[in-house]
Amino acid sequence: MSAQKLAMVIDSARCIDCKGCLAACKQANHVSRGTWRNWVKEAAPPVENGPGGSRKLGRGHFQPGACMHCDEPTCVAACPTGATYKNAADGTVVIDPRLCIGCGNCIAACPYGARFRDPEKRIADKCDYCPERRAAGLSPACVDTCPTRARVFGDINDPDSDAAKLLAANQGKVVRIIARQKDTRPNMYYIASTAPQGWTVQPADPLSFDFLAGVVAPAVRWAVGLSGLGVLVMLGRQLMAGAGPAAGPGQEKKEDGHE
Amino acid sequence: MSSDIRRHDKSDILMHWFNAGCWLVLLVSGLGLIKNERLNPLGAWLPDALRSLFGGGSAGGAALLVLHEAAGVVWVLGLAWYLAVNARGARFFLREVFSVRPGDFAWLARKMGRMTLGVGGELPPQGYYNMGQKAFAQASVLGGAAIALTGLVLLLSAKVLPASATGLVGWAVTLHYLAVGLVFAGLLVHIYMAAVSPEERPGLRSMFTGHVPEDYARHHHGLWLDALEKDALENSAQDKDGPGAGENG
Repeated sequence: MSAQKLAMVIDSARCIDCKGCLAACKQANHVSRGTWRNWVKEAAPPVENGPGGSRKLGRGHFQPGACMHCDEPTCVAACPTGATYKNAADGTVVIDPRLCIGCGNCIAACPYGARFRDPEKRIADKCDYCPERRAAGLSPACVDTCPTRARVFGDINDPDSDAAKLLAANQGKVVRIIARQKDTRPNMYYIASTAPQGWTVQPADPLSFDFLAGVVAPAVRWAVGLSGLGVLVMLGRQLMAGAGPAAGPGQEKKEDGHE
Repeated sequence: MSSDIRRHDKSDILMHWFNAGCWLVLLVSGLGLIKNERLNPLGAWLPDALRSLFGGGSAGGAALLVLHEAAGVVWVLGLAWYLAVNARGARFFLREVFSVRPGDFAWLARKMGRMTLGVGGELPPQGYYNMGQKAFAQASVLGGAAIALTGLVLLLSAKVLPASATGLVGWAVTLHYLAVGLVFAGLLVHIYMAAVSPEERPGLRSMFTGHVPEDYARHHHGLWLDALEKDALENSAQDKDGPGAGENG
């Protein structure tokens, strides 16, 4: 359990799809051309039957989102180097660019499509809740810029934070977008209801990683273990043979005879 | 008293200890780079401890990665240097290591039985390398090539490779781990046999001096000595060097 739990509480009914959060994020984080750390998804308005057989458009819905900084992150489980990890101090899921080798495992492992491989830096990238801005006492860029205050950010372990207050005020009326195959315990909360739903994908490890973790790593453990056991047995025989001149079978004495 | 026979050229000896030093640095730094619950060979404490030695946390990990990459490049350059200065020695080594004779597997099975359980029959005579040495050398050569090639892919991954190459990078990680693991399993036996077991003491000394006593060579590498003596007879008129020295030229 981290001391803080930074999270985003979103009232998606307030979102007007202005995409200010996307632009602010790109500007604040110098996100490479063609890639985005956050998104606004859209539920197309349904066609409804009006009076007298007429047809009209119903209400659509916009859904702002980004990395959900899950408590059980499948991306962390897929990272071979520990470059992606759960920060113990504030609960965020972080990428250390110095340790990332750009293998791409985490990208396929995220059921929310929150990660991408930066085409210039050639390593994984995603939302990090703007640590530089937080250090300066500011909210993340997407939160700061949102004209309708759809995105609210804060430490939900701190009952005095805006995010915690909003969660408390809407207790029992909060939903999360959860991957169908695996509840990664995301820390992105939507007030009352949100749409679209069902857009998550199945978190998948690349075959190379499943083979590494499921077959190669145990096989190497067995091989090294057996080899180490063999060495210990040989060492034991050597020490016992060395304890007394009569010890050991005649063959071994003959073999050592050249010394 | 028996006379000494030349077994290793200076470049062979240098190569061996250079390779050993690189392996030590690369193995230790590499163990500090793997950090994943399903991959850690001995638990997360090992990468954590190694990273704390190099500055702590992910900064320590980053320092280890730089060290690992630099040592890997130096290792490959050293191998290339050896191939350049002693191509004949390298060719001889590869030919010996990959030529398995009848009786070699019986030798390996009996030797393993004798060393561990104390059972096993008479050992068939062996050549320049015995089958145990050959098996480890084969693993080292094939494993080393796999490690160097996959290491190159990993080195280039975040520097030049595009996103479409991540499948290749994923398999490079898997193969790198596998090759190092298997060679390391053999390395444990190699270090025991060469440095701890008393019967190979002259072999260990030869990895410093380049020479082995004749009776050691006759007992452990009888077919090699037979070949040396046959060649010496044929060349006795014009050349004082045996092929044992010549092949290392």
